[in-house]
Amino acid sequence: ATASLSTLFHNVVGGHTLSPSDLQKPLQQMEAHLLRKNVAREAAVRLCESVSRDLVGAQTRTFESVDARLHTAMESALRKMLTPTSSLDLLREIQAVRNPSAGAAPRPYVLSIVGVNGVGKSTNLSKIAFFLLQNRYRILIAAADTFRSGAVEQLRVHAANLRELSRREGGEIELYERGYGKDAADVARDAVAYAARGAWDVVLVDTAGRRHNDARLMGGLEKFARLARPDKCLMVGEALVGGDAVQQARHFNESLIGNPSGGGARGGGRGLDGFIVSKCDTVGDMVGTLVSMVHATGIPVVFLGTGQHYSDLRTLNVGSVVRLLME
Amino acid sequence: MVLSDLGRRINAAVSDLSRSPTLDEKAFDGMVKEICNALIESDVNVRLVASLRNSIRRAVNFKELGPAVNKKRLIQKAVFDELVKLVDPHAEPFKPRKGKANVIMFVGLQGSGKTTTCTKLARWYQARQFKSCLVCADTFRAGAFDQLKQNATKAKIPYYGSLTQTDPVVVAREGVEKFKKERFEIIIVDTSGRHRQEQDLFDEMVQIQHAVKPDQTIMVLDSTIGQQAEGQSRAFKEAADFGAIVLTKTDGAAAGGGAISAVAATHTPIVFLGTGEHMLDLERFAPQPFVSKLLGMGDMQGLVDH
Ligand SMILES: Nc1nc2c(ncn2[C@@H]2O[C@H](COP(=O)(O)OP(=O)(O)OP(=O)(O)O)[C@@H](O)[C@H]2O)c(=O)[nH]1
Ligand SMILES: Nc1nc2c(ncn2[C@@H]2O[C@H](COP(=O)(O)OP(=O)(O)OP(=O)(O)O)[C@@H](O)[C@H]2O)c(=O)[nH]1
Ligand SMILES: [Mg+2]
Ligand SMILES: [Mg+2]
Repeated sequence: ATASLSTLFHNVVGGHTLSPSDLQKPLQQMEAHLLRKNVAREAAVRLCESVSRDLVGAQTRTFESVDARLHTAMESALRKMLTPTSSLDLLREIQAVRNPSAGAAPRPYVLSIVGVNGVGKSTNLSKIAFFLLQNRYRILIAAADTFRSGAVEQLRVHAANLRELSRREGGEIELYERGYGKDAADVARDAVAYAARGAWDVVLVDTAGRRHNDARLMGGLEKFARLARPDKCLMVGEALVGGDAVQQARHFNESLIGNPSGGGARGGGRGLDGFIVSKCDTVGDMVGTLVSMVHATGIPVVFLGTGQHYSDLRTLNVGSVVRLLME
Repeated sequence: MVLSDLGRRINAAVSDLSRSPTLDEKAFDGMVKEICNALIESDVNVRLVASLRNSIRRAVNFKELGPAVNKKRLIQKAVFDELVKLVDPHAEPFKPRKGKANVIMFVGLQGSGKTTTCTKLARWYQARQFKSCLVCADTFRAGAFDQLKQNATKAKIPYYGSLTQTDPVVVAREGVEKFKKERFEIIIVDTSGRHRQEQDLFDEMVQIQHAVKPDQTIMVLDSTIGQQAEGQSRAFKEAADFGAIVLTKTDGAAAGGGAISAVAATHTPIVFLGTGEHMLDLERFAPQPFVSKLLGMGDMQGLVDH
């Protein structure tokens, strides 16, 4: 009883120098709070440690409780972690590749999407296509998932739907496919070559879902990146996933780096450029997966998938994600 | 493999404690903490872990343990009992009967592995001399029918679906009626992915269920699922009252604690594991070995009967 009374005392009186013991209990509660939001334990522990380092020895302001101080500190730690150091402006990047500065020849901009099985790669690729069509680009979708049943037909339906929509929105869209069983990297390379010949603006390359703990499947990524030479490589991770998010992010990034001597900036040795966190509409305020993936790699989240329709794609709003995490 | 890491850690925590020279309350608390951390890292629901922690503490009640009591054994048993309570579904899974139509309907979140698993299951029963078939009642997802068709063709399983009918309730009813007339014994109905936040999708699921009157509804759960496992599975249980869980992607690296939470929240047994992307990657699953696997060892098995 005395302990909780003194905590209460510390909690209401400002101008107090914070000691590790003041923070111990509130930090435990904070960690449990983050865990309930589906932040991987590794990330939650690390965040609490760093906030604790910052706060020990600091003074609470007048009328500021320990809890309130901790809350503010965690909020800013999350904001800092999630805010990208360089923002991805897809349209500007495409523009730079399509209309290069003097001397360079224009070429198609290549974006590829990777991730584990069933997370929403093909669907979110189609949403990106929709977004680019609205900006009147000519889009080629490359069906480089040559493994999963129905993968090619799935993209064919999306391309047909989007073609219908693009009558209103502008732009143009086509599917490049070579059926099933072919090597994905070869299909991707050929699609890019085809796009260059046809002066397509953007190639969106879909890939098969792969387990990040399967060395053979992950090994294929390096060749894929070498042949497709994507300008951007995004990993889709779903908001539903728990602690595995950390390893998914790490392993995909590492596999794309592969053997760094093997490629140039746009070949192997490139790493991931960003995450798409899909199915955010299925988790309510439990958006911890974003934190887990960024914690694991320092790679930014660029898009959120928020539903099953073409318009359900958002850019990251750090403020609202932090609000969901802290409420 | 799913759960074995978790089992190893729990086992290690318990045997660390029993090996430590001073088996005092502090060491005991340390062990409980380590077990709880292992559970949380495996995605077991945070609230569930908190209540497990309290139950173990209550069951052991260190202060009242006399020195003569065999503490090690008592602690092991308490941990084991509480874990069993957590994952024992207290329910028997449905067993299809030969010579009659057994309708099995699949439900679950988007991308969890329903379509893949329903062909695996049809093939499983086919191999056990049940006349099996598939109905594609996913009229929403692009390419859903092609996916099922290609899988079914590879497995030589008859299938039904439509490229033009947009109402899944109609397709489901027609498919099941047709196959019942043709005296199929296992009729598996695949449905679209859905989630509890969209009421329309849940209503649709209930309508399909009314139309096909399944003998068994199966929820397909991805073994990577995190803290949403409890809420989603509970909502599916309330709306569709599924009687079994199939846990997929167990060939991945996830520990599968979400599945434990789903079992605990719905008191529903896991009946099969999906162990890969291929047709034959399906394993039967029984709760008791599940628990010993969870505990990562055989030597606790002896405690069950005490
Ligand atoms: N609710 C919701 N569902 C989504 C979202 N993104 C994708 N989905 C659904 O998730 C399921 C799987 O999506 P796909 O795009 O086929 O996933 P994938 O990663 O390409 O799957 P594989 O190629 O089989 O590995 C589909 O039912 C999609 O409609 C999202 O943001 N919200
Ligand atoms: N590694 C692995 N992959 C699996 C397993 N089961 C399914 N998959 C893969 O997971 C992805 C999604 O599977 P689907 O069967 O399309 O999932 P679904 O639940 O029908 O998806 P929706 O209909 O969009 O909701 C595919 O890439 C499958 O190959 C499994 O046990 N192991
Ligand atoms: Mg796909
Ligand atoms: Mg499906």
